[in-house]
Amino acid sequence: MILADAPFIVALFDYPFLRYALIAGLIMGFITPLIGSFVIIRRLSFIADTLSHFSLAGLSIGLFLINTIGMDFIGDPLYLAIIASVIGAFIIEILRGYYQNYKEISMPIVMSLGTALSALFISLSGGWNSSIYNFLFGSLLTVGDEYLAIISITTASVLILIIIFYKQIVLVSFDEQYARLVGIKIGRFQFASTLILSLVVSLSIVTVGVLLVSSLMIIPVAAAMKIGKSFRNTMTISIIFSEISVIFGLWISYELDIPPGATIVLINILILVLVVLINKIFVSKRIKQAQKEIQTK
Amino acid sequence: MRVNVTNLTFGYDYRTVLKDLSFKINSGDFLAVIGNNGSGKSTLIKCMLGINKVGPNQIFLDDVDIATYKSFINIGYVPQKFDDFNYEFPITVNEILTASNISNITEDSKLEILDKIGILELQHENINNLSGGQLQRVFIVRSLMNNPKMLILDEPTVGVDRKNVEAFYKTVNELNKDGITIILITHNIHESNANYSHVLSIHNGEGVFQEVERGDDE
Repeated sequence: MILADAPFIVALFDYPFLRYALIAGLIMGFITPLIGSFVIIRRLSFIADTLSHFSLAGLSIGLFLINTIGMDFIGDPLYLAIIASVIGAFIIEILRGYYQNYKEISMPIVMSLGTALSALFISLSGGWNSSIYNFLFGSLLTVGDEYLAIISITTASVLILIIIFYKQIVLVSFDEQYARLVGIKIGRFQFASTLILSLVVSLSIVTVGVLLVSSLMIIPVAAAMKIGKSFRNTMTISIIFSEISVIFGLWISYELDIPPGATIVLINILILVLVVLINKIFVSKRIKQAQKEIQTK
Repeated sequence: MRVNVTNLTFGYDYRTVLKDLSFKINSGDFLAVIGNNGSGKSTLIKCMLGINKVGPNQIFLDDVDIATYKSFINIGYVPQKFDDFNYEFPITVNEILTASNISNITEDSKLEILDKIGILELQHENINNLSGGQLQRVFIVRSLMNNPKMLILDEPTVGVDRKNVEAFYKTVNELNKDGITIILITHNIHESNANYSHVLSIHNGEGVFQEVERGDDE
C-alpha cells in the first residue's frame, strides 16, 4: 500500500484507516499475550495454530458461499471463521477426551481437516486471490468500525472474566489437581477457556493472518517469561512487548511499504532474540562474579 | 476431622489394589500409613480425596459420605511429587498462595502460616528459584490456607535432608496438637520423629490397623 510521504505520526491524523489499524493492533496486542500466558502455562501453545488453520476453513467456505454461490447476506467471511474456530475447538476437546493419554493427537487431526477444507473451498471459489492472501498474512490496514467494535467488546468481556475468575484461572492453569480438590469444575472451566481462545484466535486473523496468529499469542510471552519476576510482572512485560511490536511494526511497515502483520511478528521475534541474548550475558556475568567472590574468599 | 473407612475395595481395570480395608480415626489423631512401594498407600489417599472415585458407604469424613462431596477444601493435601504443578513460568510464592486462598483468609492469617512453616522471607520469591525442601514447605503452607480439619501428607520428606526432616515433623506434630487430624504416608516410619497415634500397615492392599502409644515429640 502506497502512502503519503508524511511522517507516520502525521499520517495517523490524516488517514483514518491507519488510525483504525493502530487501534485494532493495540487492542489485539493487549488481549493476545494475556490469553497466550495461560495457553503457555497449560502447555497448549500448538492449539492456537490449530484453531487458526481451522478458521481458515471457515474463511474459505465463506468466500465460496459469498463469491461463488452468491450468499451476500453473510457479509464478512470473518463471521464464518469465528464459527469454524469454535467448532474446531470443540472437535479438539472431544478428541482430547477420546485419546486421554495422547491428547496432542487432536491437534494435527483438526489442523489437517482445516487445511484440507481450506484447500478445497479456495479451489471451488476460483483459486488464489487477494482475499486469501489477506487471510493468510493479515489485513490490518483494511479494518473498519465493525471489526473495532467486535474486538473491543470481546477484549472487554474477556478482561472482565479474567478479573472475576482470576484465582480459579491461575489455580487451574498451574495445578489442575489442586483446583479439582478445592471444588473448581474443571470441565466447565476448560469449555469456557477453549471458547474464549477460539474467539480470540479467529479475531487475530485480521491482524496478522492465519499463519502468524499463534506467534502473536506466544512470542511476547515466551520473551517475558525469561525475565519476569512474578506472574503479573510477566504478563505485564508480555503486553508491553506485544504493544511495542504493534506500534513499531505498523510504523516500519508504513515507512518501508511492507505488510504490517509480518512486520509485527518479526519485531516480536527480534524482541525475543534480544531478551534471550541480554539474559544470557547477564547470567554469565553473574556466574563470573560469583566465581570471583568464591576465589577471593 | 473424623475418618471412617469401611470395607473399602478399589482397583484399576482388572487389578484390585485395596481389599476390604477398614479403619477409624477421630479428630486430632495422627495416622501413619506404612507399606512398601505399590502396596496401595497412595491409592488409598486418592480414594479419600475423590481423585479415585469410590462407591457410596465406603469412606466417611465427619460422618459425611465422600461420594456426595463436591469439594475437599477442608482437607490439606501435600502430594508426594509436585509433578502436577506447572513450573518454569514465573510465579511467586505469594501469588500461588493468593490464588489458593479460596476461603478468603486474612492477609495476617496467611503471614502467620508462612511464619509458622518458616518461609516468611520467601513470600516474594519466584518458585523457580526455590530448592526442593523450600518448595515442599510452600505446598504445606498452601495446604493450610483453607483452614483444613485434616492434613494428608504423601511421603513428604523424600529427598529432604535429615535436619530439615526433623524440623518438618516438629511442625507437623505442632499442627496435630492444634487439633488438625494428620494422615502421613511413609515407607519408613522409623526415620521420622512423627508423633503418631495410629498405624495402618498396608500389604498387598490389605490393611492392619492399630492404635499405638504416643511418644514424646520434643
